[in-house]
Amino acid sequence: MNTPIDDGNTHLRYAEYVLGVLDADARAEVEREMMASDAVATTVALWQRRLFPLGEEIASSEPPAYVWHRIHSQLGLDTPSRVEGSGDAATRKPGLWENLRFWHWLGLGTSVLAAACLVLLLLPSRQPVAPAAVYMASAITQTDGQVGWTATVDVGHGRMVVVPAKPQAIAAGHAPELWLIPAGQKPIAVGMIGGSAPTTLKLDPTLLAKLGPSAALAVSVEPPGGSPTGQPTGPVIAKGSIGTSPDAARGQPVTLLNRPDEKVRSSS
Amino acid sequence: MPANRTVEQEALDRLLSQTAAGDQAAFAELYRRSSSRLFGVCLRMLRERGEAEEVLQEAWIAVWHRAAMFDASKASAITWLITLARNKAIDRLRQRREQPMDDPALLDELVDDDPSPAVGAENSQEYRRLRECLDQLEPQQRRSVREAFFSGATYNELAARCKVPLGTMKSWIRRSLLQLRTCLDT
Repeated sequence: MNTPIDDGNTHLRYAEYVLGVLDADARAEVEREMMASDAVATTVALWQRRLFPLGEEIASSEPPAYVWHRIHSQLGLDTPSRVEGSGDAATRKPGLWENLRFWHWLGLGTSVLAAACLVLLLLPSRQPVAPAAVYMASAITQTDGQVGWTATVDVGHGRMVVVPAKPQAIAAGHAPELWLIPAGQKPIAVGMIGGSAPTTLKLDPTLLAKLGPSAALAVSVEPPGGSPTGQPTGPVIAKGSIGTSPDAARGQPVTLLNRPDEKVRSSS
Repeated sequence: MPANRTVEQEALDRLLSQTAAGDQAAFAELYRRSSSRLFGVCLRMLRERGEAEEVLQEAWIAVWHRAAMFDASKASAITWLITLARNKAIDRLRQRREQPMDDPALLDELVDDDPSPAVGAENSQEYRRLRECLDQLEPQQRRSVREAFFSGATYNELAARCKVPLGTMKSWIRRSLLQLRTCLDT
């Protein structure tokens, strides 16, 4: 094979690539060369600059608004799925995930886990574009048997939403901290959570890997900045196990909106 | 290269760089400003709305994941974006055209005689230059280059459409490309 500097037909292959006349195999070959050689990438870019002005003849065409919603949902973006100027976006109803009342209702149920799975399965599947989403849910129950918080994990996006079932009375100058306890292991700090407002926590992959039916969640009362030792120092006020809901909510655009009253914190 | 970029082009460059840093608002704004151009390209090449929408979606997913590979010294953001959309459209065409296109009506529609629109004030300097150089080509060769660019067809498909041997089509296009390079680079 000739070198990229060669000025014969090999060099022309990059022009042919840009023009679009090569078959699939030849295109793949050029793309490999571009990855491997900066000189090739530059040659291709030069040809793009020469030929692409022809694209000015192509009339622009506004895509339908649902294309953006699909992109937004497939990428799991958490900014509002609105693009100014795209028709139906403004009238879009907030999803169940964004609905605070839904989370409170979820927290108050007796068989919370079953309800969570059922509801997630019943969500309308409008656009089956996203890969099957996996959710895990946990009812974190207080010592008096009442549900204190519900935690729902969006595994695909590495996020957990923790919602208090009702405003929790926490000792002044203290704050609730969430812990993950893998079976037979020490608690791992997940993050500080709200006593009266929902909290979205980002979960790093190592933490995500430890979530599962054999692990438990617990809430302890700690100083506002979190436990100074990395282990629970205050009383444990609630505990719960974790359940999986595979394939739930397939295709539903699950959008996490950061509400003003909702804090996003990073684990660890 | 970054020489004479317009204000709008520079804004797109900035938005794409911010997208590379994970800025979702910048990504949304980039989409708002440039998706109609990308969709135009997909429609023109695929000639089927549903497929064009799918390819546009694929292209924007790739924009989000590959934005960090954007190099403003090599190409403007809009060129980068159109390249990505065009490549996705060509990939789709290559999958689709395993079976030959033999609809005669479609063939007539595709091989227009000389569809070059008038050059207007809204066209860029680069476009005017390219048109001058294209106009210096033999009519048949100019048509082949234009057809190749707008349809994303392979040499084989172009030869079949224009009813010439494959070797003839290859030499028309290659000669045209060399001639264009000489004309544009001087």
